[in-house]
Amino acid sequence: MSNTVLISLLFIFPLVGFLFNGIRFRSKNYKLAGAVGTAAVGASFLISVVLVAKLIGLDADARSITVHLFDWINIGSFTANASFLLDPISAIMILIITGVGSLIHLFSIGYMSHDERPSKYFSFLNLFIFNMLLLVLGDNLLVLFVGWEGVGLCSYLLIGFWFTDKAKAAAGMKAFITNRIGDAAFLIGLFLVFTNFGSIEFSSITSLLPATAESGWSGPITLACLFLFIGASGKSAQIPLYVWLPDAMAGPTPVSALIHAATMVTAGIYLIVRLSGMYILAPNVMMMIAIIGALTAFFAATIAITQNDIKKILAYSTVSQLGYMFLAVGVGAFVPAMFHLMTHAFFKALMFLGSGSVIHAMHEEQDIRKMGGLKKYMPITHFTFLLGWLAIIGIPPLAGFFSKDEILWYTYASSAGSKVLWAIGAITAVMTAFYMTRLMALTFWGESRVSKDVHPHESPKSMTIPLIVLGVLSTIGGWIGIPHVISQFLPGHIPNVLKYWLAPVGKSIELTGPATEAEELIIMGLTMGLIITVSWLAYLLYAKKSAIPSKISGALGPVSKAVENKYYVDEFYQSKLINPLIEASKGLWLYIDVNFIDKVTYLASDFAVGCGRGIKNLQNGNIQRYAMYMSLGLILILSLILMGS
Amino acid sequence: MDISVLLFYGMSFIILSFALAVVVSNNPVYSAFYLAITMVSLAFVYFLLQAYFIAGVQLIVYAGAVMVLFVMVLMMFDLKKEKDSFSKGRLSNILKVGSVGWLWGLIAGAIYMSSDLLSIGATLHTKDGVGTTTKDLAILLYTDYIFAFELLGLLLLLIAVGAVAVSRIKGGTHA
Amino acid sequence: MLSFDFLGTVGLNHYLIVSAALFCIGMVGVLLRRNVLVILMSIELMLNAVNLSFVAFSHFSQNINGQVMVFFVMTIAAAEAGVGLALAVTIFKRFKEVNISFFEQLKG
Repeated sequence: MSNTVLISLLFIFPLVGFLFNGIRFRSKNYKLAGAVGTAAVGASFLISVVLVAKLIGLDADARSITVHLFDWINIGSFTANASFLLDPISAIMILIITGVGSLIHLFSIGYMSHDERPSKYFSFLNLFIFNMLLLVLGDNLLVLFVGWEGVGLCSYLLIGFWFTDKAKAAAGMKAFITNRIGDAAFLIGLFLVFTNFGSIEFSSITSLLPATAESGWSGPITLACLFLFIGASGKSAQIPLYVWLPDAMAGPTPVSALIHAATMVTAGIYLIVRLSGMYILAPNVMMMIAIIGALTAFFAATIAITQNDIKKILAYSTVSQLGYMFLAVGVGAFVPAMFHLMTHAFFKALMFLGSGSVIHAMHEEQDIRKMGGLKKYMPITHFTFLLGWLAIIGIPPLAGFFSKDEILWYTYASSAGSKVLWAIGAITAVMTAFYMTRLMALTFWGESRVSKDVHPHESPKSMTIPLIVLGVLSTIGGWIGIPHVISQFLPGHIPNVLKYWLAPVGKSIELTGPATEAEELIIMGLTMGLIITVSWLAYLLYAKKSAIPSKISGALGPVSKAVENKYYVDEFYQSKLINPLIEASKGLWLYIDVNFIDKVTYLASDFAVGCGRGIKNLQNGNIQRYAMYMSLGLILILSLILMGS
Repeated sequence: MDISVLLFYGMSFIILSFALAVVVSNNPVYSAFYLAITMVSLAFVYFLLQAYFIAGVQLIVYAGAVMVLFVMVLMMFDLKKEKDSFSKGRLSNILKVGSVGWLWGLIAGAIYMSSDLLSIGATLHTKDGVGTTTKDLAILLYTDYIFAFELLGLLLLLIAVGAVAVSRIKGGTHA
Repeated sequence: MLSFDFLGTVGLNHYLIVSAALFCIGMVGVLLRRNVLVILMSIELMLNAVNLSFVAFSHFSQNINGQVMVFFVMTIAAAEAGVGLALAVTIFKRFKEVNISFFEQLKG
């Protein structure tokens, strides 16, 4: 099968699923809708596997497949064609998107079985997959942007899926508008790239890059990278545009798993890794990215410690882990960033689906203070969630250990990194361990605080099978990126497959400087020790009933209140940004639109009507008046003739 | 000073003053009477101009038929008093009279300016061929203008039928 | 202009000026009077003025065709007076009113 056919089919399957379910959006037959949706994404997954197999068969330095579907925009010197590029980076992405996506579709069949509009849900999910594939496979910035906008739209549609609830609809709106702000910056970045390089195709950009890095803040590449990063921070929920992600938990839980853990929020990381060659030439922007990533990771983790809604904890955890990924790209560790993206997709999706299973079993209860001891009611959910927990806090040999440690090591040792950032990252890892253990303890362990009328039970097979698959992936997913410092001890001498795979397209900044392997092992051991200690502490505090947490938060008083209220960031935005804008808009509307523009248009109409009224009086039915007009006309003409001659 | 000159001035004075009286008088019956006098004076002037047939027709048709019709209709209306005889609106009245006066001035000016073209002479002189008698008028009517003459007859027929059709009462033998 | 010569001999101009004055008087009547019949009478005045000027031209250019025109005008004027009066009678019978300022239904 030719590449063009394969890539076209890759897109057509989700599109057909979208149309099929979209046309039948009123149907309540969740089995058919779910089957079609899952089959569409499953077929795309099979095609992705075929394509990646093809890619593996190619030589390492020519590892890319380009498919040109049709000419799209060709104006003057600006070309943007509908062509798609499959290379190692996008290969990883399409496997994640279609693979994890099909598991989530399968899960949704069970989750949305009692919903009003299951077909609408599956059609939106398929549309999302389509747009996400566009995003990662596009070979120029404009096709990427089409997918970018498309996933933003689907995110809005899916967050506000139960839009009859005003708060949920508002959450969807918030996500969309915050994304838009990022998109505006993205567009400015796109324009800057075009004016600088004359083309927005990735292959052209890579070949046109200058050799030396820029310094200062006014260079064209620096500015382009800066604006593209602002766009990425909108999509990937970094400071200051992260506020939509916690609110996005208003949507159905599988949506949170797919969009806000595994795929859409990783689009920003993908963009920067794709343009990694350009970013290396703008070290100031890279430093800014690293700082913002670290700060976001830290602050989100502090907020997660105090949250009581299971999905909100996971949401802030996502923001925090995305901060890690941005920290990685900021210090030039592009390969570890992609690695963490992949492992995070596995374990975060797993945990979101697990929480969905819990919520489903608890009849839509989401407050973890009302849960507890669910271990004996939901063994499969508990076991898979446990795997996800071990992965995220970074216990070897599960996936999160390898990816997170790579990031921390690169931050410590890279020439573009800094020890301060490493310290922040390490403290965040410790906090991650704490709040995730707290979550596990309050939800699954300890004694049950479940209310009497709720009878939790294990979820059906369609929901537990994806959990099991993701659990397996979380366990073994990290083994393709084992760093050399560990693999030298393992039998069989497993190489760092991922680094080799991504080498032609995503070169990380090589580690120079005095860092040695010994330091790496020491840091690894140190972090792991801290993590285990803190987890044990959290287990003691929360699994056994203890009054210490409330005493501590009481002692910290206003600080803990501020943290619990998310540092009042939303309120700050509302009062300092949104309300003044609304007032300004209202003022503009009143003084310019109503008073000025409307009056001007009324001028024209009033003039016409007034003229009509005046002329109307010429015809008042008085015959003698008419005779007078006739005679006046006659006299006028005669005068003109006689006077003229 | 010829007698015809005196007659002309006298008759034209009568014509103009009685015409003015037609327009100015409050009572429409008086207006009809003054109009009749104006018609007769005009017939007199036609006699002065040696248009005997026309003078005769003027007397018969206008003073005899049209004025009778007017008086008959006035009788039918039986108007007791005439308030609001002139149209309202001081400005438009002044405008109307002024414009008409200006019109008369224009025409008089035009006549004066082209007077050298028009001063043909006061005395009669005959042309060869076509004479100026009634007989010649009749010959012209029945040879050169026969078509218009016949149409005129048709027009009178139409007028007669139309006048009856306009003013009939409902009923009659026609369905 | 008003010399003895001009006044002494009556030429075409004199008749034309009289005719113009008669016409203008008739026009004033049409414009100013409110009674339908008086308006019709004023129209008759205007037609007669035109007749006078035709006859004068016919006399002073020795051309009998002017009188042919007068013949036609007179016939048509009489016909028109007849129809106009029939209409006036009909209107009076319907509305009991001969004041034309009453008939302003076609106002815009």
